[in-house]
Amino acid sequence: MEPMDIVGRTKEDASLPKATMTKIIKEMLPPDVRVARDAQDLLIECCVEFINLISSESNEVCNREEKRTIAPEHVLKALEVLGFGEYIEEVYAAYEQHRHETMDTMRSGKWSNGAEMTEEEALAEQQRMFAEARARMNGGGSAPKQSDAETQPTSNS
Amino acid sequence: MRQASAYSKMLSGGRSGPHALPLARIKKIMKNSSEDVKMISGEAPIVFSKACELFIEELTKRAWAMTLQGKRRTMQREDVASAVITTDIFDFLINLVSDSAHDHCPAQESLPVLEP
Repeated sequence: MEPMDIVGRTKEDASLPKATMTKIIKEMLPPDVRVARDAQDLLIECCVEFINLISSESNEVCNREEKRTIAPEHVLKALEVLGFGEYIEEVYAAYEQHRHETMDTMRSGKWSNGAEMTEEEALAEQQRMFAEARARMNGGGSAPKQSDAETQPTSNS
Repeated sequence: MRQASAYSKMLSGGRSGPHALPLARIKKIMKNSSEDVKMISGEAPIVFSKACELFIEELTKRAWAMTLQGKRRTMQREDVASAVITTDIFDFLINLVSDSAHDHCPAQESLPVLEP
């Protein structure tokens, strides 16, 4: 048991890596600007608090929609609700770009059959494979899985 | 998998540059944020990563404006505090920065500062 647990939960369990944060902060300022160490620390803390805030709200949004997993849409909604609506466009664009990049990696990996596929072809290929798998699942078993085992699957005498 | 390393690098980088916030860390913070956090989709931390960048950018630039106002070249903690106080949407940070607005106490941010 850590001493922190006795005092009460602090949110110091996880923070963001200083080196990365420092780089990001410095990138945004003119090169000759200095940032005091404690100012950096405060910026990092603010960022962690920001994540906490958006996370809590995302959790709420997710609850209201009666979903079990916090999805990107919930996060975007949370941003809007909390007044960070102007971030949404860029955030969404970055998210889309990431999906695009991920798809590209997959494309050049095991999904490719030698010839270069376009993104649409890759998507179509993916859909086809899903449909095939689904058909296999549905066609293979004698009956779809019952929701509970109350009814006897075996024949009645 | 041949592509594993490239893929994981892609995951850990929210943007194409080398600096990006580590997704695992973000996920940890998300889990700490409230008692009954739901499961987090794999893509949610990516969205957070970008949102954080934008947040830091805004806060940093506003703090920098304060530094300039004070005719200094070094950003101090109080500049960040001022930026928070003067920005509505940063109200949630008021408690976090209030101890540095009054006095400079670089250590012990987690413990509340009792004023005499």
